[in-house]
Amino acid sequence: MRHVIPRGVAVVAGGLIAVGVTLAADLDEVRRRGELVWAADQEGGGPHVFPDPADPRRITGFEVELADLVAGELGVKARFQQGQWDRLPLLLDQSADCVINGIELTPERRRDYGCSRPYFGYALQLLGRRGSPPATFADLTAAGPSGLWRVGVLTGSAAETELRSRAASGELHVEVIGYDGTLDSLEQVQSGVLDAAVMDDCIFTFYADRFAGLRTIDRPFAGGLYTVLTSKATPALVAAIDVALGRLIANGRLKSLYDRWDLAGRQQMLMLRDAAEIPPARRRSLGELVRQSVPLLLSSAGMTVLLSCAAFPLAIAVGLAVAIGRLHGPTWLRPLLTGYVEVLRGTPLMLQLYAIFFLLPKIGLALPALVAAILGLALNYSAYESEIYRAGLKAVPLGQFEAALSLGLTKWQALRHVLVPQAVRIVMPPVTSDFIALFKDTSVCSAITVIELTKRYSVLALSTGRIVELALVTAVLYLAMSWPLSLLSRWFEARLERTAGPTQ
Amino acid sequence: MIEVESLTKHRAGLPVLDAVSLRGVDGGVTVLVGPSGGGKSTLLRCLNGLETFEGGGITIAGHRLAVGPHSDVGLHELRRDVGMVFQQFNLFPHLSVLDNVMLAPRAVLKVPAEEARSRALDLLNRVGLGSFAAARPATLSGGQQQRVAIARALAMRPRVMLFDEPTSALDPSMTSEVLDVIMDLAKAGQTMVVVTHDHGFAKRAATLVVELVAGRVARQGRAEEIL
Ligand SMILES: Nc1ncnc2c1ncn2[C@@H]1O[C@H](COP(=O)(O)OP(=O)(O)O)[C@@H](O)[C@H]1O
Ligand SMILES: [Mg+2]
Repeated sequence: MRHVIPRGVAVVAGGLIAVGVTLAADLDEVRRRGELVWAADQEGGGPHVFPDPADPRRITGFEVELADLVAGELGVKARFQQGQWDRLPLLLDQSADCVINGIELTPERRRDYGCSRPYFGYALQLLGRRGSPPATFADLTAAGPSGLWRVGVLTGSAAETELRSRAASGELHVEVIGYDGTLDSLEQVQSGVLDAAVMDDCIFTFYADRFAGLRTIDRPFAGGLYTVLTSKATPALVAAIDVALGRLIANGRLKSLYDRWDLAGRQQMLMLRDAAEIPPARRRSLGELVRQSVPLLLSSAGMTVLLSCAAFPLAIAVGLAVAIGRLHGPTWLRPLLTGYVEVLRGTPLMLQLYAIFFLLPKIGLALPALVAAILGLALNYSAYESEIYRAGLKAVPLGQFEAALSLGLTKWQALRHVLVPQAVRIVMPPVTSDFIALFKDTSVCSAITVIELTKRYSVLALSTGRIVELALVTAVLYLAMSWPLSLLSRWFEARLERTAGPTQ
Repeated sequence: MIEVESLTKHRAGLPVLDAVSLRGVDGGVTVLVGPSGGGKSTLLRCLNGLETFEGGGITIAGHRLAVGPHSDVGLHELRRDVGMVFQQFNLFPHLSVLDNVMLAPRAVLKVPAEEARSRALDLLNRVGLGSFAAARPATLSGGQQQRVAIARALAMRPRVMLFDEPTSALDPSMTSEVLDVIMDLAKAGQTMVVVTHDHGFAKRAATLVVELVAGRVARQGRAEEIL
C-alpha cells in the first residue's frame, strides 16, 4: 500500500509550526547574512516572476529585477525562494524575509503583516472569448445566457476578493471560480468552460499571443497597489525597504525598470508614499471568528465527505472489474488493463485531475469541477483497488475455483458466487485504509477549483490571520471524520481474525 | 457410461498418463489404486475436464472430451452430469452448509429457492448432517465437511460421481462415516470412480479395480484378483 503524505495535514501542521516561532530576520541579520531572501511563485507567471524562456533554470520578470534593486539598496544580494502563491505569506515565518509577488495592499494585510510602501499599480481587467458574451462589463450586472456568468480568477488574488464582494452585494450576477494557476482561468475561458476571467491587465498583455482567441472587455474596472510583504516582527526591515523604494523612485531606476518591461505608467500609482495611508482591518474576536469560520469549514468538510463517498464506491467497482479482467478476461484485454493500472499508479493524482479538467475540454468534453474531481479520484484509486483485489482473488485457494467449476458453474458464476465474495472479505482491511487515504487525498482537488476543507482552511487562515486557531479547528474536523474510519478498519481486521478458520 | 481410450497427458514434456484405456462399470464402482504419483488424480481431473490432454479421448455420461482445449459450453454441460469430491473437501467457507449444497442447483439448474432448499435438506439428512444446515463449514469436523461435500455434489443429481482420495485428509476415526455414505451410494446404483488407498473399502465396494503405475494401467480386474 502507498504511503500517503496528506496535503491537508501538511498545511495544518505548517500552520501549527508557525506558532510564535519567527525565523525571519530583522534588518541587522539580513545585513550580517549578506542576503535578502524574497519569496515568489514562478508558476504565477509573467511579467512578474517566471522561468526564463532562454534558460528555464533561471527566473526572470520585473519583480526579479526589483528584488535585485531593493537588495542592492540594502547593500546585500537577493536570493529567490519558491512558494505556492496563495501561501507565500506563510514563508515569512519560516525561510523568507519578504514576499515580492504581486501582493495587493489590503486592510487585512496591513493588520497581519509588515507592508512596504506600494511599488506598482495594478488594474483589474475583464477578459472573454472573441465573439461571445459578455460584450461589456455592464452585462455582468444582469443574468447571462445560462444564469450566473461563470468567471474565473486566481485564488487569493485581489480579483477574487473584488468579484466575490461585488457578487455578494448583488451588484454582479457572477459565479466566481478560483484557480491555483494564473493562466488556468484563461485556458478555461478559451475552451468554453468559463464565460470570462478577471486578472491584472499586464498579465493578459504579457500572454496575449498565447490566447489569441481571447479579448479584453472594456477598460479595467478596478485597481490597487502591490506591496512588499514582510513579517510584523521585522519593523526595521520594512522601514529600510520603504527607504530603498523611495530612492529607486527618486532616482528614476524604478521608472526605467517598468519602461523596459512595457509597464510604463505603473509608477504613476505610487503617489501613495506610505502603506499607513491604508488603515489596517480590525482583528476579529475569537467569538466572531468561530461564528464566521466554523460554518464555512463545516460545509467544506461536507465537500470532503461528498468527494470521498462518491469517488470510493466507483473506485472499488472499477478496480474490481479491472482485477477480474486482468486475471480472467480475454487475453487481448489483459495487457491493456495492466497498462491502465500502471499509468494511473505511475502518474500523480494532481496531473490526472488537471488532464480531466483542463485537457478534456480541448476535445469538447467539459466536465463540471465536482464531476471531474470525483472521476479523477475514482480512476486514480481504481488502480490501487484493482491491485488489492487482484491479490485478494489470488489469495483464494485454487481448489475453491475448481470445486465451483466441477459443480457446473461457469467461470463468471464461480467468480460471482465463490471467488469475489471471499476476496472481498480478504481485502476489507486494506480497502478500508485506502478509503482513509483517499479521504485525505481529496485536498488535491482544490487544484481544479473544488473547495474542500484544506483549501477553505488556507483561504480563511490567510484572510483572517488566525492561522493557528483555524489550524486547530481544521485538524479536529479531519480527525472527527477519519477516526470513525480507523475504528471501522480495525473492527474489520478483528472480525477477519476471529472468523479466519481453515478455508478447506 | 465411462470410456477412456489411449489417454495421454504430458506435464513439462513428461508423460503423466501414457495411453491409459479403461471402461467404467455402469451402475458400479470403479476403484483406482496405485502408488502415489502414478497419475490417479490426473486421470480423475481429466474425466471432468479440469485438465486438457494430448492424446486419446474420453466419453463420460454421454459427453465427449477430445485432445486440445475444451469448449466452455461442452464442459459446462458435462459437469452437470459428473460430480466431483476432492481430497481437501473445498467447501465454500463464506456460505453456510445449506447454501453450499443449494448453490449449484440454484445458479446452474435455476431450481426455485424453496425446492432447492428442501432437496438440500433431504441430502444433508441423508449424510446425517440435517442439524448442521445453518453452520459454517469451518465449525465442522473433517469427516462432517467431507459428507457435506458429497451432498453438495449429489445436489446436481450427477450421473457419475468422482471421488479423489475422499478420506486421505481425515483423521482415521472419521474415515468410516464418509466411507459408509459412499457405500450407501454404491448400493443405490450410483456410477462412481473412486481413488483410494483403503483396500478394505476397495474390496467391499469395487466392481472393477484399476491399478495405475507411472501413468500406465498396470493391472485391472475384480478386487479379489488385484488386491
Ligand atoms: N500441478 C502439477 N504440476 C506439475 N506436475 C504435477 C501436478 N500435479 C501432479 N503432477 C505430477 O503428475 C504426476 C501424477 O500425479 P497425480 O496425478 O497427482 O498422481 P496420484 O494422484 O496418483 O498420486 C506426478 O508425477 C506429479 O508429480
Ligand atoms: Mg492424487
